[in-house]
Amino acid sequence: MILDLHTHSIKSDDGRAKVENYCKWIRKKEIPLDGFVLTEHRQYDSESDYRALEDEYNLLILKASEVETDYGHVLVFGVNEDLLHSFDFANIRLPIQTVLNASKENGAFAAPCHPGRKRVGLFSHYARSGPIADVHTVEVFNGGSIPGEDQLSVEQAAIYGYRGFGGSDSHVVSRIGYCATKFERDTITTVEDLVEELQSGSFSPISLKPEPKNTSIET
Amino acid sequence: MKVLSYDDVELGDDLPDESPDVSMSKVTAFCTAAKHVFERFVDHEAARKEGFPAAIVPGIMSQSLLLAMIHRWAPGCTVRKIDTVFRGSLLVDSNVTMSGAVTDTDDEARTAEVDLVITAEDGRTGVIGTAVVEFKD
Repeated sequence: MILDLHTHSIKSDDGRAKVENYCKWIRKKEIPLDGFVLTEHRQYDSESDYRALEDEYNLLILKASEVETDYGHVLVFGVNEDLLHSFDFANIRLPIQTVLNASKENGAFAAPCHPGRKRVGLFSHYARSGPIADVHTVEVFNGGSIPGEDQLSVEQAAIYGYRGFGGSDSHVVSRIGYCATKFERDTITTVEDLVEELQSGSFSPISLKPEPKNTSIET
Repeated sequence: MKVLSYDDVELGDDLPDESPDVSMSKVTAFCTAAKHVFERFVDHEAARKEGFPAAIVPGIMSQSLLLAMIHRWAPGCTVRKIDTVFRGSLLVDSNVTMSGAVTDTDDEARTAEVDLVITAEDGRTGVIGTAVVEFKD
């Protein structure tokens, strides 16, 4: 089962993608995704209900969060009421240890995203402040990475013994599925299933980025 | 391929990529015409003093370049709405690439929703956005 674990919709302040348009795009472009996870910035969208879209397009649509910590951005899967009361999701300087601990205590799964990126990536903070003991999984393929960033993520993840997953980090419709995660299990239907599979480590990152087009008009 | 009517538009279509000229002379000409002259746009050294790696392309110019791209793709269309997010600096005198794709269509309104992206020379996404394009025919 292939899921894009890192996407943003118009619910994020810098997102410009409507969720239904993601679904239409996936089907029209025949992108081999079975679903995607909406990881809105600094919040958990508890209001939106995408079940009708799931049924119409035969896609799994789950919700999660991307929070900001003193060690860069972190994706949190399996957000629940208890976790929402554990820390302020809107805080842009959350201590990463707080996020990791609270996620673990409340049955969620936290993993740093785009760790190879300057300033907002985990490994740039490691270089300055040293490693964090409770990190176990990171996003090694990110659809918004520039050349070299994912390579750094893969190399550093190997050094620290971290598992790696992939996500597009799409903010517009046409970027969904650039990177994704292939799970061994093919019956993930809920966010609890997803957390269980992430905890099991039975997954691998994949890149589905289209080949660069050769034609570009100079204007 | 140019799009001359709504019937030519299909969800999933790509707009032709473009590499706009963001040289200092072009950016200076734009800023002058738009009465939007600030040192960070027209002087590399002054921009560096403000903490930028070099002079940066003004946001209104990026948006204008995207609009021009839409009109080259679909001459005669009307851009009903354009909404851009500036995620990173685009540097003057660098090579940038613009791309677009049709992400939705509305047969009744005869409009298409279009994704817009400008990518900086180092591969970083500088600008993203969407536009709603209306066709008369």
